[in-house]
Amino acid sequence: MKTHPSAWHRLVTAARQATPVARDDAAPFGFATRVAALALAAEQPNLRTSLNRFSWRALGLALMLMLLSIAANYSAVTKVVNNEDDLVDPADIVLKLT
Amino acid sequence: MSDDVETAFDLAACLERVCARDQLAARELVEHLHPLVIRIVRGHLPRRVAEEDLAQEVFMKLFTRLGQYQGAVPFTHWVSRIAVTTCIDHLRAQKRRPEFRWADLSENEADLLDAVLTSENAVGANDALAARELVNKLLDQLKPDDRLVLQLLDLEQKTLIEISQLTGWSTTLIKVRAFRARRKLQKFFKQLKQSERS
Repeated sequence: MKTHPSAWHRLVTAARQATPVARDDAAPFGFATRVAALALAAEQPNLRTSLNRFSWRALGLALMLMLLSIAANYSAVTKVVNNEDDLVDPADIVLKLT
Repeated sequence: MSDDVETAFDLAACLERVCARDQLAARELVEHLHPLVIRIVRGHLPRRVAEEDLAQEVFMKLFTRLGQYQGAVPFTHWVSRIAVTTCIDHLRAQKRRPEFRWADLSENEADLLDAVLTSENAVGANDALAARELVNKLLDQLKPDDRLVLQLLDLEQKTLIEISQLTGWSTTLIKVRAFRARRKLQKFFKQLKQSERS
């Protein structure tokens, strides 16, 4: 077991001695111009995009509130539906009187 | 990139002009930072991704987030961090890691691996290139985060503080990741030794 961790260390120590391949680090021709143009052409956040983003957030919030209110009042709604027979029908009362 | 070079270039003035959407200044900034960015990209380049494409992505992120730069850390550190996190995101996106097979190793690499597994002698300087290739292939077997930690810590010999600045991870997390990564390699070496015997 002792040889295995040192195997990695021996390998990595040797790997560090490898002379790095000399490569040109300068930006290739046209790279800087292209990147600069792309970066500055990217859309700036304006009023329309901000409103768009906020309207989606507002819609999400409204949906969440709707679901919460349904969940909170669910028992009350079902109770009313189940006891519909107990409700007083005004039309029935008027018809009885006449 | 030293601070002297940064001063000679007048980074502050260039950044000010870039914020005012000066295209020439943006071009100068890209040319100034390209050596730093490309070295990081080359060091952590995922398979099948062109280094120029990845470097461009780093620069696009840099320009998008330029308004968030507060000056709390040197600008080059801030850029390095963007480059490292962009590379690690790409590495994470690669679901599959290449399989490590003896048959895929060059003669030099196979001999070196065999020597490392069977003896405790130090690897000779002549085998440095083969060792480098072999180390890269072994690192490919690890998860991107583990690979990054070992590459920075063992291969590039960066300090825990430097790695923390580059990645945003705490020094404790880096130590834990390095420990786990080395343990995985240890297990992998064991498997290789067994497969060599069979």
